[in-house]
Amino acid sequence: MELFTPDFGLIFWMFVSFAVLFILLWKFGWPVILNGIDGRADLIDKGVEYAQNAKEQLDHAREEADKYIADARRQQAELLREADKMKTQIIEEAREAAQKEAQKVMDAAKVSIEQSRKEAEQNFRNEVSVFALDIASKVVRNQLVDEKAQTKLVNTLLDEIEKQN
Amino acid sequence: MKKVFLIWAVLILAFIMPKSLSASSEGGELAIKETIFHHLGDGYGWEVPFSHHHRIPLPIIVCDNDGVWHCFMSSRVAHGETYDGFYIAESGDYKGKVVGRDANGTEYRPIDLSITKNVLALFISVFVVLLCVMSVARWHKRNGYKAPRKGVGAIEALISFVYDGVIKSTLKENARRFAPYLLTVFFFIFVMNLLGLIVIFPGGANLTGNVAVTLVLATLTFLVTNIFGTKHYWKDIFWPDVPLLLKFPLPIMPVIEIFGMFTKPAALTVRLFANMMGGHMIVIALTMLIFIFAPMGAAVAGATTVVSVIFSIFMLLIDVLVSFIQAYVFTMLSTIFIALAQENPHHEE
Repeated sequence: MELFTPDFGLIFWMFVSFAVLFILLWKFGWPVILNGIDGRADLIDKGVEYAQNAKEQLDHAREEADKYIADARRQQAELLREADKMKTQIIEEAREAAQKEAQKVMDAAKVSIEQSRKEAEQNFRNEVSVFALDIASKVVRNQLVDEKAQTKLVNTLLDEIEKQN
Repeated sequence: MKKVFLIWAVLILAFIMPKSLSASSEGGELAIKETIFHHLGDGYGWEVPFSHHHRIPLPIIVCDNDGVWHCFMSSRVAHGETYDGFYIAESGDYKGKVVGRDANGTEYRPIDLSITKNVLALFISVFVVLLCVMSVARWHKRNGYKAPRKGVGAIEALISFVYDGVIKSTLKENARRFAPYLLTVFFFIFVMNLLGLIVIFPGGANLTGNVAVTLVLATLTFLVTNIFGTKHYWKDIFWPDVPLLLKFPLPIMPVIEIFGMFTKPAALTVRLFANMMGGHMIVIALTMLIFIFAPMGAAVAGATTVVSVIFSIFMLLIDVLVSFIQAYVFTMLSTIFIALAQENPHHEE
């Protein structure tokens, strides 16, 4: 039967057409397609991996950011505390300095007052001595109205001088 | 309303057509078997619908006994005519083939490389496969790694279905080496199968249901298997791992193995050929039922027509499935045969 006996012409043409088809597809068809499919699969795999990494990094970044924020808070608190300390210290220092200054000014005032007082005392003494001398001279003049008394005084004074020498 | 009308029209047509057709066939016995085998077989022209007389003429290329090539259209020898000393044999060993008469007047068969119906269908299949595959290749060249859509995407899905599902999973690291051959085989068979199911011109040729076509494909698989076979594969054939008695005085196992080398492609040949031919035959036989029952009256003929047409459509749909399955099976078995010949010793040393 014709169906079961292969015809030479058909075998020949079948072989030729398959060869042509195979060579054409082998050269221009399959490599492009298979490379494309494989490349795309790789690209997708890489994309997924990249996305996973990115997600991981993002999670990590959030953690890190939290850490930074906590750190910053702590630093801020520390700074504030330090600033507070410094403030009290500055105030203290200022107070001290002011006290010292005031002390100095007071001391200076005291000294000058003392001086003025001494000066005044001196003046007062001088004046008092002048007054005293005046008064004394007046008294003496009254007492030494007579000659006798004068001579007696002179003698006494002379005696004194003598004794001294 | 429109639908009801359509159904009536089809039914009336179904009841009238076979009657008129059988009336027109001059009351002669319907040559059922011949008609079936004519439709399954090859031919020097391509039938056109609704005409038994006209055919699309195809070139006949023959080489006579003197080594001279003759080339003419099949219409020249269409109806028992003789051209250039060649004619189509009416009977005998070469029935339906182009034959010539030598000097003694005896009939002989020239070397026949005609572009017959099957050969032209072959060319059309090659063209269709090229069109399909190159469209995907062009897409990949132009669009890089973008995913294709619609038709190109469908073909690509089919390619990666075969490549990933069959070739890669079986051949592993050798996949890229044999993928071009296996994918070409798959698409060629698939397209040939499907084109065979189309009833009018560009299809209708019973290509994969022809033993020559499947024989060439199986032979190619045989060649690929054995040419690229590893040392281990050949050792397994001539000196397999069996008790010595089974291979030494009488080489029982080697003989079986060598026999097995040839049964594999034979199985491939017959499986594809028989499946596709069977499908075609059933559809034609169902159609022929109409004409067998036509003389029994309008009622019987009409009923048969309706039933036959429904069954034919059903069978054609199944054949679409079979087309895919057979192409897939052929590719899968070829892959397995090649993979078996690619094996390297793994449990030695």
